[in-house]
Amino acid sequence: MHTYIVTVTAADRVGIVFSVAGTVRDQGGNILELSQTVMRGYFTIILAVAFDEAKSTRELADAIAERGRRFDLTVAVIEAKNEAREPAVPNGERFILTVLGADSPGNIHGIAGCLAAHGVNIVDLHARVDEARFSLVMEAFLPSDLAPSIVRSELERFGREHNLEAYVQHENIFLATSEPSPVRVGPGTRAQGDAGVPH
Amino acid sequence: MYRTEDVLATLGMIRQHKLDVRTVTMGVDLQPCAAPDIVVLCAGIRERLLRFAGRLRAVCRDVEGRYGIPIVNRRIAVSPISTLATGHAADDYLTIAQTLDAVAAEVGVDLVGGFTALVQKGWTEGDRRLIAALPEVLSSTERVCASVNVGTTAAGINMDAIAALGHVLKDAAERTRPHDGFGCAKLVIFANAPTDNPFMAGAFHGIGEPDCVINIGVSGPGVVKAALEDLLAHAPTKPTLGDIAEEIKSTAFRVTRVGELIGREVATRLGVAFGIVDLSLAPTPQVGDSVGEILQAMGVVRIGAPGSTAALALLNDAVKKGGSFASSSVGGLSGAFVAVSEDAALAQAVAVGDLTLAKLEAMTAVCSVGLDMIAVPGDTDAETLAALIADEVAIGVINHKTTAVRIIPVPGKAAGEKAVFGGLFGEMVILPIHAAGGSTAFVRHGGRIPAPLSSLRN
Repeated sequence: MHTYIVTVTAADRVGIVFSVAGTVRDQGGNILELSQTVMRGYFTIILAVAFDEAKSTRELADAIAERGRRFDLTVAVIEAKNEAREPAVPNGERFILTVLGADSPGNIHGIAGCLAAHGVNIVDLHARVDEARFSLVMEAFLPSDLAPSIVRSELERFGREHNLEAYVQHENIFLATSEPSPVRVGPGTRAQGDAGVPH
Repeated sequence: MYRTEDVLATLGMIRQHKLDVRTVTMGVDLQPCAAPDIVVLCAGIRERLLRFAGRLRAVCRDVEGRYGIPIVNRRIAVSPISTLATGHAADDYLTIAQTLDAVAAEVGVDLVGGFTALVQKGWTEGDRRLIAALPEVLSSTERVCASVNVGTTAAGINMDAIAALGHVLKDAAERTRPHDGFGCAKLVIFANAPTDNPFMAGAFHGIGEPDCVINIGVSGPGVVKAALEDLLAHAPTKPTLGDIAEEIKSTAFRVTRVGELIGREVATRLGVAFGIVDLSLAPTPQVGDSVGEILQAMGVVRIGAPGSTAALALLNDAVKKGGSFASSSVGGLSGAFVAVSEDAALAQAVAVGDLTLAKLEAMTAVCSVGLDMIAVPGDTDAETLAALIADEVAIGVINHKTTAVRIIPVPGKAAGEKAVFGGLFGEMVILPIHAAGGSTAFVRHGGRIPAPLSSLRN
């Protein structure tokens, strides 16, 4: 089986998913995983698509763009490599990092720099600015030998310089307060990079 | 992906509305330390507490860091000392208390509970010695907390013990006169005392508990108040009291879940049993962390006005329901505390004359715990203090619930003057006791008020 990662971006209109999925089906592919969002009127989708036979990435991208011509799609296709499925942080644990405060250029760059320096892998991130108020919520894997207090103090140091508050909390506290299922402790069970089910 | 709104809602409870884990309380059975030689006994206590609680501070710090939620206090509750010390001389009780005090400091806990006697049906020589030692223990140790269970629904009320405790309060207050009688703040007199309560000063490790257990006390008056204010500000139609109860329930769910998570994590890391979450709404003197402010948010602007008891009943019941859905391990006291000096809004209601002792007594019939942290005039006689205790204990015994009394006769001060206890214990204007001295003969009868009938309950 040959797997490809497809990304499509366009101004948000009704029917884009129908168009993209139709091309994949007509080309003989099967969608393994899909994540879609709309940000400030722009639609973006990322798909993992499997084919029995190898495909030309360029031809697949062209086919998706051609069928969705009326949407003026921007399409990119790459072949999925097996090594990408290996977790970026072996034995890491999922933490939720929240940064709130004043907006200023370079906030996300600085935050990501703090994390990269300690081997923290970001697997999901949403940030936005509302009336100069910056907010960022991310899911990130911390290496098992990295104490969350170290990440917290790094982010707090950055936050003091940029008028931001930073919080680092294991995901289990959000599971406990948001879901009625039994409280669990210890490492999380979801793999890195798996798309979680929104709730 | 977690919804940003869910993440920010949970975070907001912690950073804006003062949700915290008020106490991680480790219960430890000390019965294996029993020995006829006081030196051996105290050495056993120290060894056993160090073994179980030696890592408590470090583990709590790690768990606090992992989840980003404050753990305000770490405490230890031991099995009732009156049982452990049976057969020892009167002086040995103070030695045991001093040992507990020293070990508590050594392992980094702020309070240790369990200097306790259970005397609801009668008292042994050991119980009497423990009660006699209370004034000195409360005034000469820093961290030792005491409790005496004087009544149960099954056994009735031990009025002899209550009469003795009236004198104990007077003595303990006098010995701590420079601190407005603060020694009495470390003594709780119970009816139907729970065996797994993590909150001080009344925590002890009861009969039927395992060798060692972690019990959690969570606190979130500020969270409940914020949720109600949000409901009242944004609901499309004016919320009914039923809507308010639902909002409290769902908030109590979140608060309880935080407690269970922290409790299970601490217990797992220490390799001991997890016991219960006590989801009591425990106030602190800080503005915004008050049970009284919740009543005000519900529309009882002047706490103590008619309606206060009904509002508190709604709050207490909704908290229990939300907590019960959240966890099968809810225990302890689990309700709303009306600890007057520790609650800025309640203390203010006393100061302006809205909240009286009589109204507080009525309110305690529908909530936990009882007449809690209430300063009364220093010249109140021992029999009147005992009668006050008997009234509150009777409410618990008749209604099959826990009630407790923590009153402080403030030496040298009269009604209307201010008593200052400091820190989490707060301050308040001293409440008058109406018709004080009018029930001396009743108290002096002594004996036991029989257990109530359990049928014909109307």
